[in-house]
Amino acid sequence: MTDLKVDVKNLVKNFGDNHVLKGINFEVANNEVVVLIGPSGSGKSTLLRCLNRLEDPTSGKIVIDGKDISDSKTNIDQARENIGMVFQHFNLFNNLTVEQNIALAPTELGKASKEEAADQAKKLLETVGLVDKYDAMPRSLSGGQKQRVAIARALAMKPDIMLFDEPTSALDPEMVGDVLAVMKKLAKEGMTMVVVTHEMGFAKEVADRVVFMADGKVVEEGKPTDVFEHPQNDRTKAFLEKVINV
Amino acid sequence: MKKRFAFFCLTVIAAVAFFFSGQAPVHAEKTYTIGTDVTFPPFVYANSNNKYVGIDMELIRSIAKEEGFKIKIKPLGFNAAVQSVSSGQTDGVIAGMTITDERKQTFDFSNPYYESGIVMAVSPKSGIKGLQDLKGKKVAVKTGTQGATYANSIKKKYGFKVVTFDDSDNVYNDVKTGNSAACFDDSAVLNYGVKTGLGLKVVTKPTDIGQYGFAVKKGQNQELLKMFNKGLAKLKKNGKYNQIIKKYTGAAATSSTKKSNNKKDAESNTFIGLIKQNRQAIGSGILETLKLTVLSIIFATIFGVLIGLLGVIPNKFAQGVSTVIIYIFRGLPLLVLALFIYNGIPSLTGSKIPAFVAGIITLTLNEGAYTAAFVKGGIEAVDSGQMEAARSLGLPFRKAMSKIVLPQGIKIMVPSFINQFIITLKDTSILSIIGILELTQTGKIIIARNLQGFKVWTIVAVIYLLLITILTLLSKWVERRIND
Ligand SMILES: Nc1ncnc2c1ncn2[C@@H]1O[C@H](COP(=O)(O)OP(=O)(O)OP(=O)(O)O)[C@@H](O)[C@H]1O
Ligand SMILES: [Mg+2]
Repeated sequence: MTDLKVDVKNLVKNFGDNHVLKGINFEVANNEVVVLIGPSGSGKSTLLRCLNRLEDPTSGKIVIDGKDISDSKTNIDQARENIGMVFQHFNLFNNLTVEQNIALAPTELGKASKEEAADQAKKLLETVGLVDKYDAMPRSLSGGQKQRVAIARALAMKPDIMLFDEPTSALDPEMVGDVLAVMKKLAKEGMTMVVVTHEMGFAKEVADRVVFMADGKVVEEGKPTDVFEHPQNDRTKAFLEKVINV
Repeated sequence: MKKRFAFFCLTVIAAVAFFFSGQAPVHAEKTYTIGTDVTFPPFVYANSNNKYVGIDMELIRSIAKEEGFKIKIKPLGFNAAVQSVSSGQTDGVIAGMTITDERKQTFDFSNPYYESGIVMAVSPKSGIKGLQDLKGKKVAVKTGTQGATYANSIKKKYGFKVVTFDDSDNVYNDVKTGNSAACFDDSAVLNYGVKTGLGLKVVTKPTDIGQYGFAVKKGQNQELLKMFNKGLAKLKKNGKYNQIIKKYTGAAATSSTKKSNNKKDAESNTFIGLIKQNRQAIGSGILETLKLTVLSIIFATIFGVLIGLLGVIPNKFAQGVSTVIIYIFRGLPLLVLALFIYNGIPSLTGSKIPAFVAGIITLTLNEGAYTAAFVKGGIEAVDSGQMEAARSLGLPFRKAMSKIVLPQGIKIMVPSFINQFIITLKDTSILSIIGILELTQTGKIIIARNLQGFKVWTIVAVIYLLLITILTLLSKWVERRIND
């Protein structure tokens, strides 16, 4: 077995007549941070959602940590325990407190006792700087706070891989920094991460590799400096120009 | 999941059936269920103690005693009584039923026990003197009776329109209020009514003389039929038969009834008087309505939640089943569903269902379908991101549903639940059609006896409003608890 955490081969995903992913090959090594960029509708979210089978692939093979996710015989719930996901719109459980949001999965899945899970929740809230929100309800939090709780919630299952789908794009600008800081800390600790984001600063600083997608295909990939400063493909150039001009 | 669900449904239904069938008494002698009319004096009617009396009732009771079998009288209304015999729900019917060739196709009749013809009655105030005055007018009849058949056979000739009602009481009232110009009914019944102060007058001579018979389903319960004939012969021989007929049609009988009617009128013309006099009947009607309501709410909620959940699990087949069940049971009128389950199912399966159980099943299916629809809608109204976030943590569908989505969906559903509970309470009144003695049926029977339609319906309406108010307050209290 190689050091690959994510190994996607020839992934195709159609929504009816809409061919969204047209044969994606995509790899992520252990401890690697990959930033996915690309124009709207290019299939970034779909690719990410296929990685933990929130979407069922039409064809192709997805192996994560040696487990074939695309095989229907694989216990997908078990596989997901190992793949944390952070959503653009946070998706905190509205009916539960912050602590319960974080402790629910570990206790329900028998990973920790109630006390252990509560302890762990407190520690995780410390790392994201929100211990004082321990008993708060999600609706009383700001967007940035919500997203940091969502990250803590995903981390509570002690995943090997974290997927982020535009974690900061629903936030007010002054909140973005806090969330990115948490993500940088994670990256430093050696977490394997796949991040869809338009935060080019973050990509330059943290990413080991940038993957540019367009029209359901991987068009270009490489070191951030290479892709950002010397893009090879015309579409990459066009995209980067737009993003930088904004 | 699917199998378990089906199993669960069957268990619930079986449990209900068992629970209620367990209440049926077991006797050494065979007990026959006899369907009859709600009100057809002097043949069948409830006296002021709500006991069923009249020529038919005394005959069948005396014959049962004579021949040594037990009977259980079910006042279902003429139509329902006739249907329930042909579907096997009841063993026999005695309800002033005329023996006709057409009916002989489906029933086996006893020897005739009474002879009667069809007469026409009008309001004394109207100037109608005979059939020729009916041109362009409306004529009231009771469904399925000989009077109805006769009216329909001559309506073209005399140019009138026929309006049908389920109860004699409504027929007479329609004539008294002037909506209909006249009514056709059996002479014995109308003459009795006129003599006891019905407020109509008979204007024609009896025609279409017919004979009344006791009936069983064709080819079934032949021993019961034999016993009836034997018993009837005995009663005729020993004078008991004449005694009964005289008791109900003789001058003494009718005038004493008239007197007691008048006396009763005087003391029970007030609301308080009516309530006092019918306290017991109303009380047990309320109790029955409450029993139906509570049990139906419980079962409909269980059924509805399960069918609603079936509609949101990620399985096309399960969703299809849920959609079809909701479509069918929400689409069927409650009345049709009740009659279908009570009369139709026994015809298919050959085994009877007690009316109460049929009523609970009816409401469970109908109210459950509505419940399922809003349960499904409530769950679907929860942001799909909640389910995705839960699943992405590795929580299985059921845990994600029960811990995250359902608690949020239930909050959305609570007002619909309260609404549905109130509708369920109101819908129990429809079950009067299968003869369940709940509040509405109780009202009908009281009116059949005292003809105080307006006052009794007012009382019944107020009681329903009171019950609904209590139910609403209770539900709101629960709602506040859930929302805290
Ligand atoms: N559940 C779905 N059903 C049908 N079509 C879908 C579904 N999800 C995504 N699509 C389609 O797939 C295509 C790619 O969508 P996707 O969300 O993966 O793009 P994206 O690269 O993440 O875009 P953005 O930057 O706007 O988030 C779009 O055309 C979208 O309409
Ligand atoms: Mg996207």
